Amino acid sequence: MKSMVKILFRYVLSAAGVALILLIINFALLAAWTVQTSKIAAPKEYSIVQIASGLTRSGGVYTLSESAGREIEKRYQWAMLLDNAGNVIWSKNLPGDVPLHYSVAEVASFVRWYLNDYPVTAWRHPDGLFVLGSSKESTWKYPIEMSQKVMDNTLLWIPAVLLLNGIAAVLLALLFGMRLFRSLKPLAQGIENMAEKQPVELSTRGLLGDLAAGVNKTSTRLMEQESALHKRDHARTAWIAGVSHDIRTPLSLVMGYASQLEDDPELPPVQRDQAGIIRRQSERIKTLVSDLNLASKLEYDMQPLRRNPLMLAALLRGVAADFLNSGLDNSYVIDLTIDESAQKAMISGDEELLRRAVANLMANSIHHNPNGCAIKIMLEAGWGNCSLSVSDNGVGFPPDRLSRLNHPQNAAELQNHGLGLTIVRQIVKAHGGTAEFRNLPAGGCLVVLCLPVCTAVITAQ
Amino acid sequence: MSVVIHMNDIFDCKLLIVDDEPQLRRMVSEILNRDGFRKLVTAAGCNDARRLFAAEKPEGIILDVALPDGDGFSLMREFRAVSAVPVLFLSARDEDENRLLGLGLGADDYIVKPFLPRELTLRLRAVLSRAYFPVVLRQTEKPVFRLGETEINFNSGTVSTPTGALTLTAKEYALLEKLYENRGNIVTGDSLCRAAWGDDLYGYENTLMVHIRRLREKIEPQPSAPRFLLTVRGLGYKLMGADNQ
Repeated sequence: MKSMVKILFRYVLSAAGVALILLIINFALLAAWTVQTSKIAAPKEYSIVQIASGLTRSGGVYTLSESAGREIEKRYQWAMLLDNAGNVIWSKNLPGDVPLHYSVAEVASFVRWYLNDYPVTAWRHPDGLFVLGSSKESTWKYPIEMSQKVMDNTLLWIPAVLLLNGIAAVLLALLFGMRLFRSLKPLAQGIENMAEKQPVELSTRGLLGDLAAGVNKTSTRLMEQESALHKRDHARTAWIAGVSHDIRTPLSLVMGYASQLEDDPELPPVQRDQAGIIRRQSERIKTLVSDLNLASKLEYDMQPLRRNPLMLAALLRGVAADFLNSGLDNSYVIDLTIDESAQKAMISGDEELLRRAVANLMANSIHHNPNGCAIKIMLEAGWGNCSLSVSDNGVGFPPDRLSRLNHPQNAAELQNHGLGLTIVRQIVKAHGGTAEFRNLPAGGCLVVLCLPVCTAVITAQ
Repeated sequence: MSVVIHMNDIFDCKLLIVDDEPQLRRMVSEILNRDGFRKLVTAAGCNDARRLFAAEKPEGIILDVALPDGDGFSLMREFRAVSAVPVLFLSARDEDENRLLGLGLGADDYIVKPFLPRELTLRLRAVLSRAYFPVVLRQTEKPVFRLGETEINFNSGTVSTPTGALTLTAKEYALLEKLYENRGNIVTGDSLCRAAWGDDLYGYENTLMVHIRRLREKIEPQPSAPRFLLTVRGLGYKLMGADNQ
């Protein structure tokens, strides 16, 4: 939606810009036209003075200079000279329907206008009034009159009109822009919904109908693909769950009878030991099966997370104490360091799964270092997340395993080493965090889990 | 409950085992027999179970969730409508939802297959004891135990040392009881705080330390060099097992 507002803003700006540019072009054109017409008009106005002064009297006879005569022929139709009494005392090409005597009133009425429909121009001559006439219908004349006040305010109202024009342009652009915005809004919403994998059903009427139809079609396709993928994932998870379910009953019998044989005092010790091996291996199969089930559910988001605010420091102390209480050999040393910043770090998480993640990391260190090692657990909190690291001074990860842990190609691949660490990565991912597996230069391995802390609780404190 | 009257111990309970797998029924029966349970009946499905439930009136039921002619959850609901008989689920479904559903419906316990015989018998005994010999009837006496020369009596909340008797405060009592319940094991500071103050450790570290010091002054011959109540750095405390002292 933010981008839509930006589009609208740009649209209004550009519309206002267009209006402004049009206005400027129009003014330029007007100015050019004015200059051009005044260029045409200027010699004419000049000409009547010249023509009038070209008519001279010498000994009672009027003579018109040659150039003035040419000008009358070329530009006008006829000319005459009135004396102060209103009689025509000289004329050239005078049409027959033009009278030869005029009263003051008649002179006043034609002097700026028309004489018998002939547009005329007059000029003062030493002997009277010199009148030039054009042919009928050749010139349009109109008086322009303005009150002085209006003319004085010109400097004010021209900018005012420009401003009004600008505002009108912006308002109109906004109006049309809003209409466009309104018709684009469902489209934008549709695309957003599509990104969030929600079904989109837009109305395909109106200007943008084709576009909406395209969005609808794309959404349908996406939903189909999504549901096909989901179906496949679900089938896979259900299949694994089914297999693990079906293994449990026969495994119960194996484990149950092996355990009974192991405890049977009538059997020789060697056979009891063998039964013990069967029992322990059955328990391993049990762990593998439930790990496989959990890993497949985590991978395909079928594992419901029961998220609660929980204190990571307490969880770590609990896991470490459980390991120590379970009769861990003295060759293993567990060192738990909780940074002051992380003492109260709360995260929103599934306690059972997070415990499992930490326990898996510790169990991994113990399992791969049968001769003992020092396990170091550290918790630190930073901005918005906390880092939980488990390291040991043992043998470290084999290189190919390390790269597969950090860059899983086939996420739920069953590794020779069990699924413990895969599950750790999945649990952390399900909590919106990251897991990084490393080998230490001095020997041993380091796993850093980065988990987002629960901000709501922090602000509440 | 009327059944209590003619029952001397939990091994007198008549148990109904419902599972569609005959081998498993046989094994569970053997395990329970060996543990001392004498009265056992088995059913392969819901209909069998209903018939036997009505005819035999069992005092405990071990129930599979997935049965060929119905599911264990609904069957339990039927039984519970007419009787408060304890029910222990024995299921091949390990999903947490199923476990929570079973317990939420009022099952007394939920064991996931595969299981060890010992796990089954211990949990069954616990379920039956809770149902027929409740704690309130069974155990009014609280433990009295010795730490070296010192004797701690949880009934009176007193500590008797060669030099005299001391009384435990309520918080000291709660802490010591929690430590005693887990003697020989590490108890995290968090668990101790929850036991004594019902709250998490954060904010109580110093208070906890003060209380532990006072407790040591009462139970340790040399509080500065504790022999019984040990500190486990970074984790919590540990009360040494009274047996090996």
